[in-house]
Order: sequence, then C-alpha cells, then structure tokens
Amino acid sequence: MTVEQAAGTAGGGGIWRVLAAPLQPRTWTATIYLLVSLVVGLAWQIILATGLTLGTGLVVVWVGVFVLALTLLAWRGGARLERRWVRAMLGVHVPDPYRPLPAGSLWQRARVLAGDPATWKDLAYLVLLFPLGLVWFVVTSFLWSVALVLLTAPVWFWIPPAGQSPGFDNGQQARLLIDTLPEALVAAVAGAALCVVAAWAVRGMAAVQGAVALALLGPSQHQLKARVEALETSRDRAVDSAEAERRRIERDLHDGAQQRLVALAMDLGMARAKLESDPAGATALVGEAHEEAKRALAELRDLARGIHPAVLADRGLDAAISALAARSPVPVGVEVTTGRLPGPVESTAYFVVAEALTNAAKHAGAAEIGVRISRHRDLLVVEVIDDGAGGADPARGSGLRGLADRLAAVDGRLTVTSPPGGPTVVRAELPCGS
Amino acid sequence: MRVVIAEDSVLLREGLARLLADGGVEVVAQVGDGPGLVAAVDAYRPDLAVVDVRMPPSHTDEGLRAALQVRERVPATAILVLSQYVEERYATDLLAGGALGVGYLLKDRVADVGEFLAAVRRVGDGGAAIDPEVVAQLLGRRRRTDPLASLSPRELDVLSLMAEGRSNAAIAERLVVTEGAVEKHISSIFGKLGLPAAPSDHRRVLAVLTYLRT
Repeated sequence: MTVEQAAGTAGGGGIWRVLAAPLQPRTWTATIYLLVSLVVGLAWQIILATGLTLGTGLVVVWVGVFVLALTLLAWRGGARLERRWVRAMLGVHVPDPYRPLPAGSLWQRARVLAGDPATWKDLAYLVLLFPLGLVWFVVTSFLWSVALVLLTAPVWFWIPPAGQSPGFDNGQQARLLIDTLPEALVAAVAGAALCVVAAWAVRGMAAVQGAVALALLGPSQHQLKARVEALETSRDRAVDSAEAERRRIERDLHDGAQQRLVALAMDLGMARAKLESDPAGATALVGEAHEEAKRALAELRDLARGIHPAVLADRGLDAAISALAARSPVPVGVEVTTGRLPGPVESTAYFVVAEALTNAAKHAGAAEIGVRISRHRDLLVVEVIDDGAGGADPARGSGLRGLADRLAAVDGRLTVTSPPGGPTVVRAELPCGS
Repeated sequence: MRVVIAEDSVLLREGLARLLADGGVEVVAQVGDGPGLVAAVDAYRPDLAVVDVRMPPSHTDEGLRAALQVRERVPATAILVLSQYVEERYATDLLAGGALGVGYLLKDRVADVGEFLAAVRRVGDGGAAIDPEVVAQLLGRRRRTDPLASLSPRELDVLSLMAEGRSNAAIAERLVVTEGAVEKHISSIFGKLGLPAAPSDHRRVLAVLTYLRT
C-alpha cells in the first residue's frame, strides 16, 4: 500500500504549505475526480442493476448466464479502470488483488474468476461509488462555487443586474448583498479563505475515497500476509537452490575438467622426461595428452552450457530449445510460439524443459517427447509431455523439486501429472510481464 | 592463401597465427573485434577471414554479425567462423547467403592441426566446413514424416560427412571404402531424399544443407 501523500509532512514554511493547497495540482485532480465520480457511479449503478436483474431473470434460459458473465467481466474491467483512475487523480496506488487466471478452458477460467473474493469486492466498490459520489459532488461543487463567487466579488460587484443584487442570492431574499468596494474586498478575502478550506476538504474526501479504494479494490490484509509468507519461503528456497547449484558446479569442475587437466599435465611431464631416451613412448604420451585436452574442452563446454547457454541470450527460447531437442537421445517435437521475453523468464523456461527432457530420457524411458511453449496473455506456459513409464513424483526427485523452487522464485507454478504407466506432463506457468 | 584473424583472446590469436603460418598460410592481419575485422578486410582484401563468434564489446554474436557484414561488402571473402559452442541457429544465419566459402567450426577443432588446416584450405578455396556437431543437430531435428529414416546407417554416415563439406575422396578415406562405393551411396541418398544430382562438391553441400535445414 503506497499512499503518495505530500501534505502533512512537516517542513519549512508549514503555514504557506497549508495556504497554498488551492494552487497545487493535486487539489485540482482530486476535485475533478470527486466531481466525475458521481457520473461514473451513476453509470455503474445503471449497468449493474440492468445486467444483474436481466441476468438473474433470464437465468432459466441460458441467455441469463451469458448476461451475468458479461456483467461480471464488465465490472472487473471497470475496477481495473478505476484503479488506474484513482492512481492518476488521487495519487493512491492500489495493487491488483486478483488470483492468477489459469490458462485452461473458458469454464475453468470463469470458475476461478467467480471464486475470487476480489471480484465481489470490485462489485461492492462500484455499487458504493454512486452514494459516495453523490456526497462528494454536492460538497465539492458547493464549496468551490461559493469560494469562487466570493473571491471574484471585486470584479463584478459594480454590475448589479436589473432588480437583482449581485451576491449570494438565496431565493427572493438576499441574505448577503455586496455592492460597495470594501464589501467586495472583504468578500474576496473570505473567498480566498474558503478556497483554502475547500482545498483541504477536497483533500480529505479524496483521502477517504482512496482508503475505500484500497480496502475494496486492493489486496486484503490476509492476502498480503500470505504473499509475504510465500515470498519468504520462495526466497529461502531460491537461496538454497543457488547454493546447491554452486556445489554442483564445483563438483563437476573437480571431477571432470580438473582431473583431465591433471592427467594431461602428467602425460606431458612424462613425455618430456622420455623425450631423449624413448622418443616413440614420448610421442604416444603426447598423443594421449592431446586427447585428454580435447576431452577436457568438451567437458568444460558442456558445463558452461549447463550454467547458461549462450544461444539462449543471443537468439531466444526457440533457438535454445531446438538445440536442446537436437541433442536429446529421444526424438523431441518442439513448438514455440512466443518471441523474446525477459531474461529470467527465458532461462527459467529453458531449464524447465532441460530438466524435463533429461528426466524423460533417463528415468521414464520415453520413446517420444513433445515440448510446447506458448503465451497466454501475461502467462508463459511451458509443457513437456512424454510417453514414458510415468510415476514421477516432484516430492522425491531433487531435479523436479529444484525446478519448483526455481519457478517459485519468479512467481511461477509447476504441476506434474504422472500416473503410473504414463504419460507424464510437466507443466510450468510463469508470469512474463505485460 | 592470405588470411585475416579476428579473435579477442590474445593467447588464442597468437596461437592461431602461429599454427596457420606453420601450415604455410599467410596471416596478413590480426584484429580483436568486429569493426576491426571489417576494416582489415577492406584494407587487405584477404582470401579468408577466421572469425571468433564472441567478441567485445557485446560478447554475444559480434563476430558473426561482422562476418555477415564482410560477406556483404566483399562477397569474395571466404569466412571461417570459430565458436566456443556451435548451435544450429547460428549456422543457419551464416549459411543463409549460401555455403560457398563458409566454415563454421567448434574452437576445439583447432587442436587437430591437420584437420583444421585442411578445413581452412577447403573454405579458402570456396568450399564448406561445417562442424560435425552442427550436422548432428541438423540430423537430430525431427520432421513430421522423416525421409532420413529410410537411409541405411552407412548412408547416414556419408550424408553427415557430405554435410560437413568433405569431398568424395575425403569421405572414402574416413570411412575406409573406395571412392566408387561412396559415389554409389551418394546417388542412393539423393534418390531417397528426392534431391536433384549436383554437378560439383560445392553444389552438393549446398543441396544437402538446404535439405537438412528445411
């Protein structure tokens, strides 16, 4: 929750800050918001009343369900607009509280949509907008118009229209009559004072409206707490998996390239010693050293590629996954229908596929693997399907658990369905920005 | 043959220059980045440019882009790209302008001095040298109906060596068979894949690579 509030902060010239409120743009954006909210509230009152009564009335015939669904989508959209509007005009940032929509069928998405408490809080907010808007409109327009009329009194006090006196006219009996210059000046001072009052009243009403928006359009306290907890665990797991990754790299270097280089140095040392006495033996040793060096190079290359494949950064997911598929011992069909994405998203997706391919080939004994990567709005969906033995359990395999951790670190989700006898479907969903 | 070397690691650049000089190839210039390569080719008009893919300032595929630029400015320049990793996608970019006078090899191949020098000469003469790992990636790609499945294991070997850019004689030597036997395999492969018979080695490489890439 961020309430970008400039007022109230103590500083030099506090009194001037109070008096200058009517001149600050924030006051005027808030004024516009408060005046417009009556119209917006009324419009929603009409839309919602029509949609909901029509929908429930027609629910016996299927059209009603359609109308209700449409109304629901409309108010969710309205709430989104309202969040932006509140942010632009009132300076209150209201974060989206929505549960992520699954990439599944229309019916699944509709269920998640209707089951999300945020959807119903959106409705409550839009219903509340009208009565609130009414109050805001009356108070705001009254205060500003009186203030402005008084403030401008010196300009027009001398033009009394026929039979009428300029000033604040209440029906037939004028309670306040301004027709001399001193009176007009007094009125102007009063108007200026009222401007300050109006400005602060507007600020106050805007703050109330902002608080209502935060409460109804923003995430609930419970949601925020759950989010903090989820972030804490995912951070811990990300730290753990980074640690495990470092240990793995160290081990791979130690067992692989390092040993090969030791053997190479040994061969070369022996060859050097034999150079004079046994040239044929020395030649053979140099040959061995040569082979050893080439194997060390190949191992280092594989290791580097496992840490971060260069082609992924240079050419994106499609190229990197194709290369991965080409190296797989099991035939892999690849379908990537997305362009370039942010780096962390691309590399997470890449490692999901890499791990799933390794598992399918190594443990499941698959004969055929399919990889599909597609984007559903701001969700990237990675699916790896194999026809192997199935029975994969993310709770036991460290590879799959590592993947789940990796995904959690980017707010993603991993689901593995792997009934005994297969097929195994590894599915990862990760937000990829909009 | 006159060669320009573009490689940012001084150690490797000097090593390459020495290796090429020992092999009787004249190294006319050594540079350390992409713009340097383009300038050196403009200035020296070499027969061949040996280029590292990853170079400063971006350390991504700088060398590849510079090579394509060279190709555009001075089309007669043969290009041999060396890389720490070979990926089919880079090969596709490089080969998009035709496989004549184009090489794409893993850096490790430099260690096999004889083979490497042969590849340098082949590319300099307008031939092709495609890394076996790229060929393996191309062959490993799945197609909906895979005509490669109809090839015998021996024919697949021959196809791979052809795709690497090797001549009949070289293929025969590698597989320890006669040139006549290689020719027979080749005509059988072209028949099975439905490719028109190619008049020259260069054309043949082009045909095979085009086939594998699509």
